Amino acid sequence: MEFGWTPEQEDYRKRVRAALGELLPPNWNGFYVPQSYASDAQIEFSRTFCAELAKRGLLVPHWPKEYGGNNGEDWEHFILGEEMKAAGEPRGPQYMNVNWIGPTLMRFGTEEQRRQHLLGIASGTVIWCQGFSEPGAGTDLAALVTRAERHGDHYIINGSKIWTSYARKADWCFLLARTGPGRKEISVFLVPMNTRGITVTSFPGLIKDGHLNEVFCSDVEVPLDARLGDEGGGWKIITHALSYERVGVPRYHTGLKALDLAIAQLKQESRFDDPVMQSRAALIAAKFEAARLLTYQVVDQRVKRAPQTSDANLCRIAALEAVEDLMNFMVQYVPDCLAGGDALLEDYYRINVPAGITGGTNELQLDLVAKRGLGLVRK
Amino acid sequence: MDFQLNEEQQALVSAVQTILQDHAELPQSARLQTHFFDHALQELLGSTGFLNVGRELGTLAAALVIIEAARIPAVIEVTGQALILAQLVGDERLRGPVALLSERDLPKAHRNLPIARTALIDVGEDVAIVDVEPANVRSVESIYAYPYGRFVQMPDLRAARRLPGRGAKLRQWWRVGLAAEIAGAAQSAVSFTISHVKQRHVFGHPVGAFQSVQHRLVQCHLVATGTHYLALRAAWSGEAYHADLAACYAQQHVQKLLVDLHQFTGAMGITNEFLLHFWTYRLRALQSEAGGMIEAALSAAGSRWKPTEVSRAPQIAGADTSASPR
Repeated sequence: MEFGWTPEQEDYRKRVRAALGELLPPNWNGFYVPQSYASDAQIEFSRTFCAELAKRGLLVPHWPKEYGGNNGEDWEHFILGEEMKAAGEPRGPQYMNVNWIGPTLMRFGTEEQRRQHLLGIASGTVIWCQGFSEPGAGTDLAALVTRAERHGDHYIINGSKIWTSYARKADWCFLLARTGPGRKEISVFLVPMNTRGITVTSFPGLIKDGHLNEVFCSDVEVPLDARLGDEGGGWKIITHALSYERVGVPRYHTGLKALDLAIAQLKQESRFDDPVMQSRAALIAAKFEAARLLTYQVVDQRVKRAPQTSDANLCRIAALEAVEDLMNFMVQYVPDCLAGGDALLEDYYRINVPAGITGGTNELQLDLVAKRGLGLVRK
Repeated sequence: MDFQLNEEQQALVSAVQTILQDHAELPQSARLQTHFFDHALQELLGSTGFLNVGRELGTLAAALVIIEAARIPAVIEVTGQALILAQLVGDERLRGPVALLSERDLPKAHRNLPIARTALIDVGEDVAIVDVEPANVRSVESIYAYPYGRFVQMPDLRAARRLPGRGAKLRQWWRVGLAAEIAGAAQSAVSFTISHVKQRHVFGHPVGAFQSVQHRLVQCHLVATGTHYLALRAAWSGEAYHADLAACYAQQHVQKLLVDLHQFTGAMGITNEFLLHFWTYRLRALQSEAGGMIEAALSAAGSRWKPTEVSRAPQIAGADTSASPR
């Protein structure tokens, strides 16, 4: 057991930071970040930024060479994620491609699907969206009603998806649809967003523009080979994908950066001499550090190809506690962050408004740890 | 980064577990007490070299032994001997067990004082070392699950041996030690409670079948696991900042552990014979040590953000700021 980075990992982090220094425009923090990584501006920026990252071997370093990667270790991918998130996620929605869409396609896709999609993702120019939630199926995802009916050599999809971040700019959708009467008879479809019958509308909310969209599928025709995995076998794929999503976002890293920003502002205003404020800030930092170590432990399990446990769910719970404390701290001590104050703090706050909901609600994470981790059964 | 124990660490943990297993059951005479100091086990750990592990194998190994020792219901003093003495006096041998205390609380009752032979006293910048004579200690009744006692005659700190400039180091390793003890005791207390809620039925179902109970137990499990890794990282890195974080994380969550674990064990849990208090009231005792959560947090804030005024408490303010927080 040891908690240090190898010299190679330290060098790698420096390389990522150098690339960020080189590739981010001077107005990155002032113009792009406050719009959020789901904004049209950031999504378009991500197409050139990720393409440049790809040229430097920094987009999918942990992927196999045949799919555009460099056979790098999982830790490199994770270091990359920490640095990108701390910089305001200039990969935009493409973080999702790298974190779980690509690995899921590698695991469950046909050779043709892998060739078609993985090289596109690895080139850094393709935008995906996630067609999971529906107006009547969020936490209880298996309640989704969007249906794909098989007609000879194709499926016809009807239904609607909601939330669907990035949908109005996405090229592809990782879409879930019901293909049978059973509760979990769900299949995954890889659907081009320009397919006839797909329309997207956006609506405002507490999180920033680009995240809240509704996608309507009206007699959308897709070929059989657009299905990922077996018909009705989507639940296993979703579970796999979400386990990546749970540790894919290094919330401790972005949280500590936001906390540092808030304190820089308080120091500038000569207000950080209050010991109550100082101790509260440190208690939050301690929670983020606990979340960091729990997350590293899960990454270490992945590096060692150990069987999946509920530890990834525990990471989410740990990070959420810290995020909630931090949001509360911000509103108590730098309330103007939500009223024309520091735009980066506002971005942090608004991105995290649904932190307890995305990727499976906090209650779901608690249920999963109770059952799988502690062996407690429900009545 | 490697969260698995290496061969040497695994061998160490297995060896200490083998010894501890033989002492995991409390003697019948101790089962109704508030605490049980296991003299025989203390001797055995000393004679088998486990209390010297900090000198021989380093601080991470010492923290691993502290965690294992804290898992059993009996009290043994490991932190002072296995971890702190090695950091403060190197190879010099002082008599154990060790009591850790702060000058400002000198007239009050102290944890482990009735069993201690040496007291390390935080006097701000320096550390005072005092020989403890059993005749000079009066035991104090307490529901804390450690032996507590007061000095009959206050030691003369002006005449005591001093370790100049070592106060911050004492507080740092004290915080690592208490976080490790909280981790071990919390893990046992959570496991003990989980076993209980699986067996005890209410309204026709096991207590642990109710979602409201399950969620809170997961949160307790999270606290124990988070503390475990924070303590071990602080032991590994030797950074004061990490020690502060480990302690303030552990100490801020003691209330949660106490409330939930006793809530779910109900009236049985507040009886001595149920045994839960052997862990939970060790957690309670550790909650305020080394300045408690707030002083650990202020010290961490001082390291990370370097505010103009770090702390209200001058004797705690001299935290080691040479650390390079991440």
